[in-house]
Amino acid sequence: MTLLQRVILFLFLFSPLGILAQEKYTLSGVISDISSNETLIGVNILFPEQQTGTITNEYGFYSITLPEGSYKLVISYLGFQNIIETIELTSDLTKNYSLVEATETLDEVVITEDIEKLNIRKPQMSVNALSASTIKQIPVVLGEVDVIKAITLLPGVTTAGEGASGFNVRGGSADQNLILLDEAIIYNSSHLFGFFSVFNPDAIKDLRLYKGGIPARYGGRVSSVLDIYQKEGNSNEFHANGGIGIVSSRLLVEGPIEKQKGSFLFGGRASYAHLFLPLFDVDNIAYFYDLNTKLSYKLNQNNNIYLSGYFGRDVFSLNDSFENTYGNTVLNFRWNHLFSDKLFSNVSLIYSDYYYGLNLDLIGFDWNSGIRNFNLKYDLKHYLTDKIKLQYGLNSIYHKFNPGEIEPSNSTSGINPQKLIDKYALENALYFDVEHQLSDKLTASYGLRFSNFLRLGQDELNVYENDQAVIFNDELQIYEKAEPIGIEKFDRNDVLKSFNNIEPRLAMAYQLNNKSSIKASYNRMTQYLHLLSNTSSPTPLDVWTPSGKYAKPQILDQYAVGYFRNFSNNMYSLEFETFFKTVENRIDYIDGADLIANDAIEQVILNGKARAYGLELLFRKNEGRFTGWLAYTLSKSEQQTKGRTANETGINNGEWYNTPFDKTHDISFTGSYELNKKWSINANFLFQTGQPVTYPNGQYEYNGIRIPSYTNRNEFRLPTYHRLDVSANYTPKPNKVKGFRGQWVFGIYNLYNRRNAASISFNQNRDTSRNEAVRLAIFGVVPSVSYNFKF
Amino acid sequence: MKKLIYIILLVFTYSCEDVIDLELPTSEPKLVIDASIEWLKGTTGNEQSIKLSLTAPFFDIDVPPANNATVMVTDSNDTVYDFIEDGATGIYMNNTFVPEINGEYTLTVLYNGETYIATETLKSVSEITRVEQNLEGGFSGQETEIKAFFNDPGDEENYYFFEFIPSLPVTPTLDTFEDEFVNGNEIFGFYIEEDLDFGQSVTIRNHGVSERFYEFMFILLQQTESGGPFETQPATVRGNCINQTNPDNFPLGYFRLSEVDEFIYTIE
Repeated sequence: MTLLQRVILFLFLFSPLGILAQEKYTLSGVISDISSNETLIGVNILFPEQQTGTITNEYGFYSITLPEGSYKLVISYLGFQNIIETIELTSDLTKNYSLVEATETLDEVVITEDIEKLNIRKPQMSVNALSASTIKQIPVVLGEVDVIKAITLLPGVTTAGEGASGFNVRGGSADQNLILLDEAIIYNSSHLFGFFSVFNPDAIKDLRLYKGGIPARYGGRVSSVLDIYQKEGNSNEFHANGGIGIVSSRLLVEGPIEKQKGSFLFGGRASYAHLFLPLFDVDNIAYFYDLNTKLSYKLNQNNNIYLSGYFGRDVFSLNDSFENTYGNTVLNFRWNHLFSDKLFSNVSLIYSDYYYGLNLDLIGFDWNSGIRNFNLKYDLKHYLTDKIKLQYGLNSIYHKFNPGEIEPSNSTSGINPQKLIDKYALENALYFDVEHQLSDKLTASYGLRFSNFLRLGQDELNVYENDQAVIFNDELQIYEKAEPIGIEKFDRNDVLKSFNNIEPRLAMAYQLNNKSSIKASYNRMTQYLHLLSNTSSPTPLDVWTPSGKYAKPQILDQYAVGYFRNFSNNMYSLEFETFFKTVENRIDYIDGADLIANDAIEQVILNGKARAYGLELLFRKNEGRFTGWLAYTLSKSEQQTKGRTANETGINNGEWYNTPFDKTHDISFTGSYELNKKWSINANFLFQTGQPVTYPNGQYEYNGIRIPSYTNRNEFRLPTYHRLDVSANYTPKPNKVKGFRGQWVFGIYNLYNRRNAASISFNQNRDTSRNEAVRLAIFGVVPSVSYNFKF
Repeated sequence: MKKLIYIILLVFTYSCEDVIDLELPTSEPKLVIDASIEWLKGTTGNEQSIKLSLTAPFFDIDVPPANNATVMVTDSNDTVYDFIEDGATGIYMNNTFVPEINGEYTLTVLYNGETYIATETLKSVSEITRVEQNLEGGFSGQETEIKAFFNDPGDEENYYFFEFIPSLPVTPTLDTFEDEFVNGNEIFGFYIEEDLDFGQSVTIRNHGVSERFYEFMFILLQQTESGGPFETQPATVRGNCINQTNPDNFPLGYFRLSEVDEFIYTIE
């Protein structure tokens, strides 16, 4: 028995399950915003005299079980007026509360959502919550409010820079992030190659980013979980809000289907078709759009149903010779059911798909690829006592991968139609999580996730001698593709390969005093899907591939400890964490691997490993005229692929090398200052060690051209990245609470016009024949103005 | 396709590129073997040359020749063709070479007391049947597009290496091609040049090459194309030549034998 299993057993044995000395009753209900009837996530329900309490879940539900008695109850949620009342708990009680927004009674009303405040008691660590209002304050390029850009300001989160898709958490790659929108998996979070993210900020209620100590209810990716919840829509009255910006315009409407019972929300966002293009005298089109939908209906006190959808596309076309379309589609049906006042359940049926299409008329072909899945989730939250909360459930995902299909696009094309072989898999999981208050000071959360992955039969699968799809050429010291010795054919019901993994999760918090605590966590996670990408940051055309005979699942172990402290009555908070993690079976590619339209990807991949460690510091001011945070991360992220035998060189001679997302120092500051009711100013400052890159240490001539010869992988770095952005928000009529209200946002991105290198490439100038180092910088100083409204 | 994305990225953003000064490390010089035996269709192919040079610091204008080497090629009948250096140019010549389609040849180089060898097969190539031009092509609609058509044999896997040498003072454009998606069809080599106008010409050379050379050149060209955020990890590309004396001091370059078809096209 491992140490961890022992700890879990210990916790079980000593838990007060079944110890019932006194009659206990349950108080439960839903907490919502009185004006919109929108449920609120993370509202505190506190019993100050008993030093206990709970918070509302993702659906606004709470439940707490206490001995019979009279209690003083405080419901608090920042930005809303507190409710204080005394309740007589003599039987099970259902109480729904509606909170009233704290109106601008005083000058210093600056609202940050309570969800962002540090809860030192909860064992959950390494998690950052952001509300939609915070995200909207952060200055951004071209005035486009952006969820992903906002989270990259948090400690432990970076991006490869402008024009790079996705984000990296604690030295992990972008495909290791589980991105959930209303519980549905989003495969590509970027519009326009990462300049903008796919989430419409108006439709978002709140989000949480888990970087470590990840609860057992999440699985399937190893680095992080970004859990985003969309608003349900106002079930009291019709409202609209929107914005007009340089890049895009958006409009969101919401209102009741049936007052207090049902609501709808429709949000749309579209960029202008000829984005950036007046500069070029060419016939080009580039735009993106997305649509968010949500319908909510309360059947009765115990049953709620939700239907939500997302559809987004990016479209590019260049002079009729090239056309590119890609995006995500998500459809999600959920049913919340209360079995009892202690047992909350949610069933989700989710369809999600990512499509990538390309038409290249120059060469004469059409290309389509994508991934789609059907996802069934059943999650239960069991509020056993005021000390123990259980969460358990199951999850089953059916994946279908279309790695690509190529067709001639016109009659003169020399292309033969070809279909790369579709792949299929079934991913299952069972989990339980216990949140357990062991003593006044010590709280633990512990759980297990059992995951199972079945790679299902596909039409054809290559067979190799000794199952080696990559061979090492001893003489030339290079890796080469092995020739298949045969082909196996399968039925769809066959299981080609199955994997089972047990993923323990553990987090503990020890409260030092009422201001500070220390926390520790461990989690193991498994990732069965791999994004095939050998570039510094993912591209939209990268394809996902399932684990199987040749690609093993990635397995992560992460340890973290931290110190957490609130100051001055929660006005300031400090979080200090250190983490260490290892990932087994991180895919690496043989030199020059061509991943595009490759039907035998196993011939170019090797299984390596990765590790990362670091320190994170987050100092936050939560209240007052000035709010914001300063984050610092010191970290290291490396990867290693050794030879499989002593003769083989491995990648980079089998030595550890920096991953492209290794940023030694990462400082980010973001702040917002309310000058007066009409004006507020915001600023960001970022400072990051340059991205690791490989530089040439020489050149040679071959076949009339000059070729750079390179050092070991990622030994050098791009110049340091830093940037300052500022913005000002102007609200002409701040006291207006009804009717049409508008707000102007003026911004300057990269104020001092730093030419940050997105990359440096080494090539021979075609005209002068001289070798050059060419820096690509994406954004210089970019001013912007946008107008937001609501009514 | 990654290059395409990169082009889009440049077109669709405010981004800009500039040449910067950078201090780069310098490695010990290595031997570079540029041994390309080319048998132009319609010739006897007896005159051949092999170029030996050394690596140089990245920003240097010249690369130094590798002088005083012993260079020979042996065919499968054990006939030895000696290649003799032309002065101190690092270019080694032979004028009695006998090329044979699918013949296997071995290159031996003795340089600085170390022996380098490589083995390769001479590959055939199909004839370029016709050339089409489009003066309003490319992504901007203002570039000159050239398509050089040829018929791919359907009964085998073929790999091609194209050279496009325009009558302009620019470095030639090189490209590789495989028949995976076009096997047995009439297919084309594709070339885009911005400043190619009426009366100017382009020399198109198509070479038959082995799969290994195709892989080698494919990676090599990836490393010389502009990088950008979608650049694949650069690495030192190893060819088919090995150092028998000291394997760690491996040479760069390649020993290739190709049948070549040439088409000189004048823009109309």
